[in-house]
Amino acid sequence: MPGEGARRAPVRIDVEELGKSYGSFAALDNVSLTVRPGELLALLGPSGSGKTTLLRAIAGLTATEEGTIRFDGEDATTLSLRERRVGFVFQQYALFRHMTVFDNVAFGLRVRPRDERPRAGEIARRVRRLLELVQLPGLERRFPSQLSGGQRQRVALARALAIEPNVLLLDEPFGALDAKVRKELRRWLRELHTETGLTTIFVTHDQEEALELADRVVIMREGKVEQVGTPADIYDEPATPYVCEFLGGVARFETNAKDGEADILGSTFPVESDGDYSGPALAYVRAHEIEIVSRELAQGVPAVIRAVRPFGPTVTVELSIEGRAERIEAEVPRELHSGGELGLGQGVFIRAVSARIFPVI
Amino acid sequence: MTFGQIALPRPAPSVLPGFGLTMGLTLTWLSLIILIPLAGVFITSAGLGWAEFWRLASDARTVAALKLSFGTALIAAGLNAVFGLLVAWVLVRYSFPGKRLLDAAIDLPFALPTAVAGLAFTALYAPNGWLGSFLAPLGLKVAFTPLGIVVALVFIGLPFVVRTVQPVLADFDKELEEASATLGATRFQTVRRIVLPALMPPLLTGFALAFARGVGEYGSVIFIAGNIPYVSEIAPLLIVIRLEEFNYAGATAVAAIMLVISFALLFVINLLQAWNRRRIGLAG
Repeated sequence: MPGEGARRAPVRIDVEELGKSYGSFAALDNVSLTVRPGELLALLGPSGSGKTTLLRAIAGLTATEEGTIRFDGEDATTLSLRERRVGFVFQQYALFRHMTVFDNVAFGLRVRPRDERPRAGEIARRVRRLLELVQLPGLERRFPSQLSGGQRQRVALARALAIEPNVLLLDEPFGALDAKVRKELRRWLRELHTETGLTTIFVTHDQEEALELADRVVIMREGKVEQVGTPADIYDEPATPYVCEFLGGVARFETNAKDGEADILGSTFPVESDGDYSGPALAYVRAHEIEIVSRELAQGVPAVIRAVRPFGPTVTVELSIEGRAERIEAEVPRELHSGGELGLGQGVFIRAVSARIFPVI
Repeated sequence: MTFGQIALPRPAPSVLPGFGLTMGLTLTWLSLIILIPLAGVFITSAGLGWAEFWRLASDARTVAALKLSFGTALIAAGLNAVFGLLVAWVLVRYSFPGKRLLDAAIDLPFALPTAVAGLAFTALYAPNGWLGSFLAPLGLKVAFTPLGIVVALVFIGLPFVVRTVQPVLADFDKELEEASATLGATRFQTVRRIVLPALMPPLLTGFALAFARGVGEYGSVIFIAGNIPYVSEIAPLLIVIRLEEFNYAGATAVAAIMLVISFALLFVINLLQAWNRRRIGLAG
């Protein structure tokens, strides 16, 4: 809490070899992860990848069978929910419908044991300050049903912050909002995080959201951690074919590697493996990594222009090449379009500028 | 519909047709089944004249019967609200062997002829019955006392509370309880401050239904009550007695009073419901 006396040092979370299964389905499979004090961490993955289970396990809402979770070194799995002091924001907010905004935010303070409970005046002061922090002053007496989705989201956040949590956990915080409100709230959440300095974890299935907002991103798949890294790491050096495909915006090619290298769209790139790998390989090329070469040079692979989408800072061109059913998307500079070189049905040459190639094991 | 066009402002044409037809059928049906018979009660008792009506209504035996009927129905509905909630909670929240059987058994009071229930209770609670023989040495008399009436009415009213609370509890969002727990509330605080307020509307409805049923209940009660005037004689029985005496005016007087009191109580319960809805910003 800003200004609430000395700010407590943010908490570090260690997840060690966590396991949880529902019947034969492993929701979490030997997950280990360190959340640095004060960082904003995204758990990214498709539904069923275990990201929400992991978040709920950290909160103490889901019991796990194996492994431990430590808050600043202290084993949290033995603590009660109250002792964990976790601020949890639910996807559907879980606001108490029969209580006003004020009562919702004050709830966590009012249910404290008598000797720890602040006086009524103090509670009122804190609730007002929290509502200012989430930019909802003056709505104390409204009921949740009288608020918009974005406002409910903020009330849920204020309510979670009221208990002065050790960590803030958000489950799909923007999942239930429309696109415009999402963008606004995203920026605002980033600012709020800077202001509170709390160790914060949020779950999302939207890669853009995760990469834009988080300090670090954890990509999950089938109950396992697939890759952990800063957004730049993840974007520039996706560790696995899965990460490449999940981030999207790539064309996938099946190819053959020889002595640690593979040819793709007229260029040769190294395979991401130790030693000289030879054998089948998967190559991923992003749209902006494909270059359209002028006909005179005649380098690369012949292709035919099938569609042109000339909006945005770059022009997206859909191309087809021989021996491939799916079209390939290329993002090219606007000048090429205004120069009139991109006619539908026109034959061109394309070339990959860079690519990531993984051995198929 | 020419009459409607002239006399009444025509409602805005709706995309979904059929208002005129369905409303007409509804009103006809309601009139035949409810409104005309009820009006009959008032018209007949109005024929008595005010003084005569008041004499019949303030008759000590009538007053005692009315007090007994409404008193026992209220107590039974209150007991059902508490224990019906408990039953609904157990049925929704836990799974145990025989759960479906128990769930089905809740509806028995709906299906069982009430006279059968009355006979069973009388046999059980009579001073020489299975339960009554244990209670008698403790000085507790159930059969042939107002207590027996409460027992019968609790039986009759239980499914109303269980069946109104059950679906609401089943739909209750578990995340609300989780949110409460992460905010530091104890289990007791969560149930009292989060779950119970959400269950108030169905609980009130169930209470009202159980109460209304209890006031009108006849079959099961007359067996266990013993029907001692001034002590365990319920108002519906008094109506029957008056009818058997060919005292139709006396019978309708009691009926009219019952109607007015029932209506007033149900009205109050509905006001409570509306107030509760408005309070949480769900006007309308």
